Amino acid sequence: MMRKACSLIALTVMLFLALAPAAHALVLDLSNKRIEIRYSFDGADIILFGTVGSSAAGSINDPFDVVVVVRGPEEAMIVRRKEKLGFIWINGESIEFPAAPGYYAVAANRPLNEIAATNEFLATGIGFENLHLAFEGGARRSQTVPEFKQALFDLRTSKGLYRQEEDSVTMIGEGLFRMDVHLPANVPVGEFQIDAYVFQNGQFKVRERIPLVVDKEGFERAVFNFAHESPFLYGLMAVVIALVAGWVAGVVGKKS
Amino acid sequence: MTLYLPIAELSMNIFFIIGMGAIVGFLSGMFGVGGGFLMTPLLIFSGIPPIIAVATESNEITAASVSGALAHHRRGGVDMKMGLVLVLGGAVGALIGVQTLTILKALGQEDLIIKLAYFLFLGTVGFLMFWESVRAIVRQRSGYIPPPINREDRHKAWIHKLPFKIRFRKSRLYISILLPIGIGMLVGVLSGIMGVGGGFIMVPAMIYILGMPTNVVVGTSLFQIIFVTSLATINHSINTQSVDVFLAVLLLTGAVIGAQVGVRAGAKLKGEQLRALLALMVVLVGIKMGYDLIADPAEMYTEASIEGGGH
Repeated sequence: MMRKACSLIALTVMLFLALAPAAHALVLDLSNKRIEIRYSFDGADIILFGTVGSSAAGSINDPFDVVVVVRGPEEAMIVRRKEKLGFIWINGESIEFPAAPGYYAVAANRPLNEIAATNEFLATGIGFENLHLAFEGGARRSQTVPEFKQALFDLRTSKGLYRQEEDSVTMIGEGLFRMDVHLPANVPVGEFQIDAYVFQNGQFKVRERIPLVVDKEGFERAVFNFAHESPFLYGLMAVVIALVAGWVAGVVGKKS
Repeated sequence: MTLYLPIAELSMNIFFIIGMGAIVGFLSGMFGVGGGFLMTPLLIFSGIPPIIAVATESNEITAASVSGALAHHRRGGVDMKMGLVLVLGGAVGALIGVQTLTILKALGQEDLIIKLAYFLFLGTVGFLMFWESVRAIVRQRSGYIPPPINREDRHKAWIHKLPFKIRFRKSRLYISILLPIGIGMLVGVLSGIMGVGGGFIMVPAMIYILGMPTNVVVGTSLFQIIFVTSLATINHSINTQSVDVFLAVLLLTGAVIGAQVGVRAGAKLKGEQLRALLALMVVLVGIKMGYDLIADPAEMYTEASIEGGGH
């Protein structure tokens, strides 16, 4: 009885696999699925590989385009605008984005505007301008949101955390493509999502997602956790280290 | 060779950090100051977030003051009793300073208060110091000898009217305890907000307001700075988790080496010249901070992650 059930399941799985390729035309893999931040961390480069097989959407012989979107963990961010108060500049109006991506990169095999029309990207949510970012602030502020959103994009781009069309997808041939994902040293820790979109003749065809984890490891993780979980003890430890270091320096300084 | 700083969450060149420590250490050794007023702006300038610069620098100053206070203690230059009274006020002040900074950080104005405090206090103190030392140099050249000040006349009348008088044997003083507590508190507030030891305010206050003999002034100031910066460090840790021990240790490594060289260099200069040079440096830092507030910013917007996100 048991055996019969098993073979039935196996048969179903085989049948499913036989029909599945049409739905899974896009396969992705990463050179490294887990980035560990240690003391010597100075950013990381990882390689995304992908292959497009034949599907109901068309065969690989037809030309296609690939757009890759990398999104880092969401962070609450606040953007402030400087205002002049008398003689001095102070931080004035501010808008909070409770869930902006901590890292955001868009790469494609050729300029986005050649791949498809703006509407197509709007529908798929590709590109920072098409991200729906929630914001906090009154209705009065809704007019100024685009400016603040643009400022957030510019500031984060200058920090190397937003990379829209700065990197590119390389088409290797035979349906194979690759992309180098650049993570700067100040990359936020957490879970990343890498989405690859295939376009053909200006139409979105298929999407596939692969996760990536960036985390502090070993000593760096221990120190960070210590500081956040027992801040009083951490502060005490910092003081003790300073007292001992100062005492040692004082004794050594006397001798020399 | 870069090192990832786990609290500041960025990578920095180790030799760059040690080098900054060494330069400030050299100057602090030469002039006999803590150097916090130079180090904190330097850290901010090199890309460390202001609040982390302030908190981490408090931590580093603790170490620098310990070695300085030890040296003065060996020479009998620390008035423990006076130091502890100053600490009493300083502890309350540091708490107020750190709380103020925490609240202002939530309002997005911590940058403003840090720069404003630097401009006002460094500008004023530096200018007065510069004026005083230049006058001393000019008088020395022209052979003018100032009349000696009578020890009994050191205090203004209102100071003698204050209650709760206490005897400070080592400083040869009989004054109200409220005075050192008040001064300690003011310096504590500045320490919490500016990430400095506060020696540049403490030392003149001890000489001109308390009337302490100069041989115990620097040692006692350093002694109380140990406690106040320790408390500031713990407060910053609890409130904002912004003390980066890695950064502090690297800075003080450089500072210790620099200070040794600085002390020798300082011995070759005259007192007034040293004071004039130090004053000039203090004024320049103050003016730079003030200029940053007035000048049109290169970037109209600033962006910051809001703390409390799970990492």
